[in-house]
Amino acid sequence: MIKTLGRKRSIHVMLVYTGGCNGCDIEVLNSLLSPYYDLEQYRIMLTFNPREADILLVSGPVTIRTLDQLRAIYEKIPEPKAVVAIGACALVGGVYTNVYGELGPSDQIAGPLSKIMRVESEGVGCPPSPDEIINAVAKAIPRVVEQK
Amino acid sequence: MKNSENITEVDVGTIHPALIEPFRIRFFVEDETIVDSEITYNAAHRGIERILEGLPVKKAHMVTEKICGLCSTTHLWNSVRATEKAMDIQVPERATYIRVLVNELDRLHSHIFFLAHGFETLGHETFTYRAFALREPLMRMLYKLTGNRVHYSTAVLGGVRPRCDPDKATTSALLSLLDGLESQLGPFIERVTQDPMIISRISGIGILDKKTAKELHAVGPTARGSGINNDVRARMSEYDDFDFDYIVLKGCDVKDRLLARAYEIPESFKIIRQCLTMMPGGPSYEPVKMKFETQYQDAYIEAPRGELFHSLKIDEKGLVRNYRVRTPTPPNLACMEKACRGDQLTDGVLTIVSCDPCLSCSNRATVVDNETKKERVIDFRRLKG
Repeated sequence: MIKTLGRKRSIHVMLVYTGGCNGCDIEVLNSLLSPYYDLEQYRIMLTFNPREADILLVSGPVTIRTLDQLRAIYEKIPEPKAVVAIGACALVGGVYTNVYGELGPSDQIAGPLSKIMRVESEGVGCPPSPDEIINAVAKAIPRVVEQK
Repeated sequence: MKNSENITEVDVGTIHPALIEPFRIRFFVEDETIVDSEITYNAAHRGIERILEGLPVKKAHMVTEKICGLCSTTHLWNSVRATEKAMDIQVPERATYIRVLVNELDRLHSHIFFLAHGFETLGHETFTYRAFALREPLMRMLYKLTGNRVHYSTAVLGGVRPRCDPDKATTSALLSLLDGLESQLGPFIERVTQDPMIISRISGIGILDKKTAKELHAVGPTARGSGINNDVRARMSEYDDFDFDYIVLKGCDVKDRLLARAYEIPESFKIIRQCLTMMPGGPSYEPVKMKFETQYQDAYIEAPRGELFHSLKIDEKGLVRNYRVRTPTPPNLACMEKACRGDQLTDGVLTIVSCDPCLSCSNRATVVDNETKKERVIDFRRLKG
């Protein structure tokens, strides 16, 4: 009971960028840090320490060279945890695996993210709007708080 | 030197709060002073040039936009420019004005984001928040003008996408937004430059002198903070109509690299204002006749971070061949490695951020030797054999 209450009031979000074009990261930072959206007023804090994080935001198509780091960070986050995929690249691989010429799709991409880990909720768009990101984070909170 | 006894190695990255993008910096530290540094930056390699090979031209333009999220419109415009040059296509004047307009709005938001990022690395959260507060109206305006945030997809072959053609209401809204932003940004920049704490923290560190910057071919505001005027806009015919100044500062340190960008913001305001008031009438898009089997064509443009190069050839079927992109960050990376020598360890990351690395677009092919686990970037001569 107290645990649930405590968790509810301090959700820590960690952002990991795994390739991609930066656009999603800018929007995530924008929705966390800009005074217009300011997720911190709902007690959702940005952290870069996996050991105190609850929710992992992943943007980008997961290139093969960030795969190990991503897994290591995921394992360091204590249970209960939730993963949110942000943007078209993390969801379906974006242009890098779906658009290609004669040489086939890019062989540098290990994603999409759902192949690698369980994805709790999705921020859709290229890039997702800040409202969409806030919505996606909010959807992942019940898993962390109530462990559903 | 790196093997000396007194030297400790401090790793930053691959994933680190100050960097956001995945790259790794190794600082070689003696006592508290950085004696050498090394940047490894291939984690975000996606193989874009490879997927572009053999794509139809218009589809290729769509992919080039996704190279970078901060200068997306610059990438798109430059690839369209290269194609237009190769196919000998004339663009309506109104379309050129709209492209310049969106490009300068993009530069504005990129510079303000850079300042926010810089202040975050400095540890000054209030200024970060204030910079983000200034940026959000701009993003909303771009959303209103083009229909999306970050990826605007403005330039298409033969003009601009009809959705991006501003009508009277949008023009007046843009002008009033500019007035509001200008009245807020002026005091903000003044406040930053007169803040004794900020100035004492950023001046005199991360020295990149003019000679080194020239040797390493620094581009963009990084070079302009070291007294080299290399703005590509001076050579672009699209910018001939506009009257603005190039900002060149001679301090060679972190402060001047930050301020070079801060002072470029009012110049962008000037261009946008001229764009909106002198916008010619007529169509903004004309259907084009595609010409296939062209020569290799290159195009240079000034991205928010410096000179950007695209080159391509179109074969007889209308497919893209040998697409090459050189982004502003690779030449600046060498400058970052040099600039943080002699700094305190705490200033190292700040020096690197002050050169504004944008790694998403600069990742190259690297050869990794499986036996020795060593990495090297191959140069053109070795590739030829």
